[in-house]
Amino acid sequence: MKRFTRFALAVASCSVAGLAAASTPAGYPSNYASIVGAAQKEGKVIVYSTTDSAAVKPLIKDFESLYPGVKVEYNDMNSTELYNRFISESAAGGTTADLLWSSAMDLQIKLVNDGFIASYASPETANMPAWSTYQNQAYGTTFEPITIVYNKRLLKPEEIPQSHADLVRILKANPDKFKGKVTTYDIEKSGVGFSYLTQDVRVGGNAIWDMVKTMGSTGLKLQSSTGAMMERISSGENLIGYNIIGSYAFTKAKKDPSIGYVYPKDYTLVMSRLATITKAGKNPNAAKLWLDYLLSKRGQTVLANDADLFSIRSDVAGETSMAGLTKQLGNSLKPIQVGTGLLVYLDQAKRLEFLKQWQQAIKK
Amino acid sequence: MTKLIVEDLHLSYDATQILKGVSFHLKAGEVVSLLGASGSGKTTLLRAVAGLEQPSSGQILLDGKALYDGAKNVNLPVEQRSLGLVFQSYALWPHRTVFDNVGYGLSLRKVPQAEIKQRVQKALDQLGLGHLAERFPFQLSGGQQQRVAIARALVYNPPVILLDEPLSNLDAKLREEARAWLRELIVSLNLSALCVTHDQTEAMAMSDRILLLKNGKIEQEGTPAELYAAPKSLYTAEFMGSNNKLSAKVVSVEGEQVKLAGDGWELNGLARDWLTAGNDAQAVIRLERVRVVDGPGDNRIKAKLITAMYLGDRWEYLFHQGGLRFRAYGGEPRDAGDYWVEFPANDCWVFAAA
Amino acid sequence: MSSTTSMQVPLPASTGGGGGGEWRAYAGLGRWLTIAIAVTVVALPLSLILFQSFLSAPFFMPNKTVSLEAYRFVFDDPDFWSSLKNTCAIAFGMLFIAVPMGGVLAFLMARTDLPGRRWLEPLLLTPVFVSPMVLGFGYVVAAGPVGFYSSWWMSLFGTDAAPWNIYSLWAITLIAGLTHVPHVYLYASSSLRNLGSDVEEAARVSGASPFRVARDVSLPMVMPSLLFAGVLVFFLGFEVFGLPLVLGDPEGHLVLTTYLYKLTNKLGIPSYHLMAAVAVLIILVTFPLVLLQRRLLRNAGRYIAVKGKAARQHALPLGAWRWVALAIVALWLIVTVFVPLSGITLRAFVSHWGQGVPLTEVFTLSNFTDLFENDSLVRAIINSFGVGILGGAMAVACYTAVGFAGHRRNDWGSKLMDYLVLVPRAVPGLLAGLAFLWVFLFVPGLKEFKNSMFSIWLAYMVVWMAYGMRLIQGALMQVGPELEEAARSVGATKGQTSRYVTLPLIKSGLLASWLLVFMIFEREYSTGVYLLSPGTEVIGALMVSLWATGAVDQVAALSVINILMVGAGLAVALRFGVKLHD
Repeated sequence: MKRFTRFALAVASCSVAGLAAASTPAGYPSNYASIVGAAQKEGKVIVYSTTDSAAVKPLIKDFESLYPGVKVEYNDMNSTELYNRFISESAAGGTTADLLWSSAMDLQIKLVNDGFIASYASPETANMPAWSTYQNQAYGTTFEPITIVYNKRLLKPEEIPQSHADLVRILKANPDKFKGKVTTYDIEKSGVGFSYLTQDVRVGGNAIWDMVKTMGSTGLKLQSSTGAMMERISSGENLIGYNIIGSYAFTKAKKDPSIGYVYPKDYTLVMSRLATITKAGKNPNAAKLWLDYLLSKRGQTVLANDADLFSIRSDVAGETSMAGLTKQLGNSLKPIQVGTGLLVYLDQAKRLEFLKQWQQAIKK
Repeated sequence: MTKLIVEDLHLSYDATQILKGVSFHLKAGEVVSLLGASGSGKTTLLRAVAGLEQPSSGQILLDGKALYDGAKNVNLPVEQRSLGLVFQSYALWPHRTVFDNVGYGLSLRKVPQAEIKQRVQKALDQLGLGHLAERFPFQLSGGQQQRVAIARALVYNPPVILLDEPLSNLDAKLREEARAWLRELIVSLNLSALCVTHDQTEAMAMSDRILLLKNGKIEQEGTPAELYAAPKSLYTAEFMGSNNKLSAKVVSVEGEQVKLAGDGWELNGLARDWLTAGNDAQAVIRLERVRVVDGPGDNRIKAKLITAMYLGDRWEYLFHQGGLRFRAYGGEPRDAGDYWVEFPANDCWVFAAA
Repeated sequence: MSSTTSMQVPLPASTGGGGGGEWRAYAGLGRWLTIAIAVTVVALPLSLILFQSFLSAPFFMPNKTVSLEAYRFVFDDPDFWSSLKNTCAIAFGMLFIAVPMGGVLAFLMARTDLPGRRWLEPLLLTPVFVSPMVLGFGYVVAAGPVGFYSSWWMSLFGTDAAPWNIYSLWAITLIAGLTHVPHVYLYASSSLRNLGSDVEEAARVSGASPFRVARDVSLPMVMPSLLFAGVLVFFLGFEVFGLPLVLGDPEGHLVLTTYLYKLTNKLGIPSYHLMAAVAVLIILVTFPLVLLQRRLLRNAGRYIAVKGKAARQHALPLGAWRWVALAIVALWLIVTVFVPLSGITLRAFVSHWGQGVPLTEVFTLSNFTDLFENDSLVRAIINSFGVGILGGAMAVACYTAVGFAGHRRNDWGSKLMDYLVLVPRAVPGLLAGLAFLWVFLFVPGLKEFKNSMFSIWLAYMVVWMAYGMRLIQGALMQVGPELEEAARSVGATKGQTSRYVTLPLIKSGLLASWLLVFMIFEREYSTGVYLLSPGTEVIGALMVSLWATGAVDQVAALSVINILMVGAGLAVALRFGVKLHD
């Protein structure tokens, strides 16, 4: 072991001559340079991700400048494709992802439980909220509030729902205006939509079913993709979109003056994109570097400021960070706990039961 | 009584002139054949009469009524001309039975069903197709298909029936029978018919008059006998019948009598053209007029028999004489060797070389 | 005679002993090899799907068991029955819209003096090569509840809603029907062009007006090909995916393919067995259609048996009706091509839109500039061109090889091929792509190719085989058998005949097939999704992932680029004299 370390150190210092030392951040274990060295030998990290590659570009650029010689092979796809591709590829034993970075939290935890995920204690763990990591295998990397999105042009200020109860009130007060104008995920088609609603029920209880019923009475428009919802809210075809990830709303609102969004005041769900290092990956060290970088203050700062995601670190400030949001919303923030709780509704019977309840609720 | 009059008809595709001023008459009860080589414009002329081609000027009159008149801008659509047309390909509708094919023209004319049935059956019986009414065209032989096509064109009693190469899709044996049958039909029904053909035997057998077309113009018009026995041009002479063609020099001209000289032979012939002594000329003589004879004499040439071919009713001989090559008919087999051959002066037509 | 004897050159291939025999054996072997390869590439993914449908978990997982659970689940699911009902409604609707309309269009274009036929022809085919997802999205933007045209209508007539609803089942059926008109048009117009004009002239001489000629002769005679196209459209009705995906969501109208797509997520984890079961059911429903098609094709033969003289065709003068006819064609073009394409184009040049948004204020080019900052897009454009042009040519070569393997033979090998090539099209592209991912992962020796363009090309080639084969077989049928027989009689083997006679004769048909396959490959969007990797992006699949992440701006811009690419390909091909059909 000691010999190996020395060897790795030698390689590292030879190949990057001092850079390696400089890139070992403060507080990281002394042998971190060996991981860097091994990663540089691996030369690349293959990432399967649900995050749009255009948004992640600044992160990749910064990472590659921090660890020269480690390239990020970034594949973006939707969460189902990601899961499908990964399990097929690892069963076949071919090249597959080294690191999975997905917004489908439940599928990530399932992969952990099914034994596909390697264990790695990131030196950044101490800086993470306790709810955001799971058994040194799944790491929450973002802090993204779930929002209600609305059309700024067509809604009067008093028609903007500020909380879940508010939404019910406004819809009931003006049924004609909102007839066919409310949209949300079709939770049968969208895994994330399903996941947010189950969390809603967990936090908000039966009041949430009443809200769903009220939405259903307007002739709820169901979509399977966030893009379809945002587009229609922007155009005025729909006026209110329920349970849309804050980072999408934030990005869209910057460019599109028609889009507004609110964090519900009673409670705001928070989701986190989970990163996991795979067992089947061929570049485990590079994967560790990418994970640590994602969690590091440097990475999180880029993530919050340039990638329009929301930082999960308390020491990163600003509008798009946990710190900023907590200042604004305090205890009403309800992060989705990373853990086996997410697996409840992967049980077929439970899931179908929930879907049935939902279908009955949205019936006009 | 004149049924159909075509007067100075011109027609062209784009820049190519197809018909360059054709005129003819068709009398009631008469069969006229349009004869010519391919490209002579005969089919185009027929299609123009039918209304399937658009002439550029001239007149087409049927019973005194204009079907087409370039000057008056009259052009009756095909379906209103009410002529009968038999296509070369027969153009039977493959999705209809024989009965429906034949009866279509009647039902278009709003003839009551019962009458249609009776008239179609009569037409089919007349043509010996009575038992085939319920068949589809693809279930018929070529000869039967042809009769159906004719029945279809006749059933509504058109004033004139147009036939486009009606026999060309039949095999040789069938063609001769059909020719006689068709002529009989036309005569017995007293039809007025205009018929396109490229086969001179067919034209002569079927028609009362023949129009020989060449490059969109009428080369010669007349009864079959006139065209066969008294051709006015080298083209007509060559087109009709089976011919020997002799190239020679004119030695002397005396009225109708011409003396010709070739490579080692001399012949007298009948001038059919304006000839001058010393010029090149073409002599044409029908095969059946050339005779093999016992010895030398007037207008006789000694030639070498190369081969004799048996044709059943006669023999055909092939002779060589220097550069000359000609054929003759005879009644008996002959061995190869030298013979005297006579070219009767009156059957030896001389034209100026083209 | 010496000259004749000197011409009796012995033919090594026909009279020679060993050499010729060997050559012939190789030629036969080549044919069976072609058949074997074709059967393998088609049957492998299909049998994986069939196998998967009888398992309880992914076939590569250790905890799988053989069961009928998947079928039980599907049959118990009311969504399945409602989607089956909707699918049938859409398929019948398409049949009743596309067949008459396609027949009329074909007659107008092939047989009459309709003004502007030359430039109408490429426009007519537009719906074939624009991805239905793009069309669907174009309709939303253009004619949705607050779409550009809907808004204009509302302000013009002072109503507060447009009189149409593009999310209704009716609208989806209508749009699907109208966009499938070109399929019927292609079949009907080629058989109309092959129809000798003498049969029509015979009817006119008999006294029929042009209208009656069309009704009594032309139409019944092209009926077999119309029926054939009708069955094809009905078949395609079972696999429409993009349109109901985009237009069916808001009101929850499911069809079998979107139901299958929904099953991906319904249980939280991807349920391969359920998806496979639905795919097998779709194949079972559509297979009788394949049989029916073959029957129709055989019956069509007897009409061709009586062939007219291939004389120059005479265009039927329409007179004043030509303007009415042109108006009908124009109306169809506006609804099917202009409305959605102008919608998507407008969308690509604005930052946002909707009720009360003046377009002049939101005009932007940033959707395009953003795209070009993304290197995967540049790669996608290059790759799409590559898979369309090179891949298209290779696919046509493969289709031709398969076509020759079955040409004028009637043994079980060619029959097997005939049935087999049609089946892949019954499997929705998304699942077919997944099956191909499995093939590349689990078939030894193929893993290296997984992340290459080869995998994408192979999947495209197989999925579109039915379509490509029809084109090739159509071209092959046009070669008169006597031309091949003449070559055989002078001593050519079957292979030599193919190379010396048949292949040169179908050259223009092959070029046209290449063009059509190019366009189809450019617009394909669902098959490549699972085979995409960095470096092998293609535009269609990229659009699907962009759509999922919500980047509608880029999707619109990319659609416009995609349409321009296909348009450019079409223009170049037509410029160089490629005819869409003879």
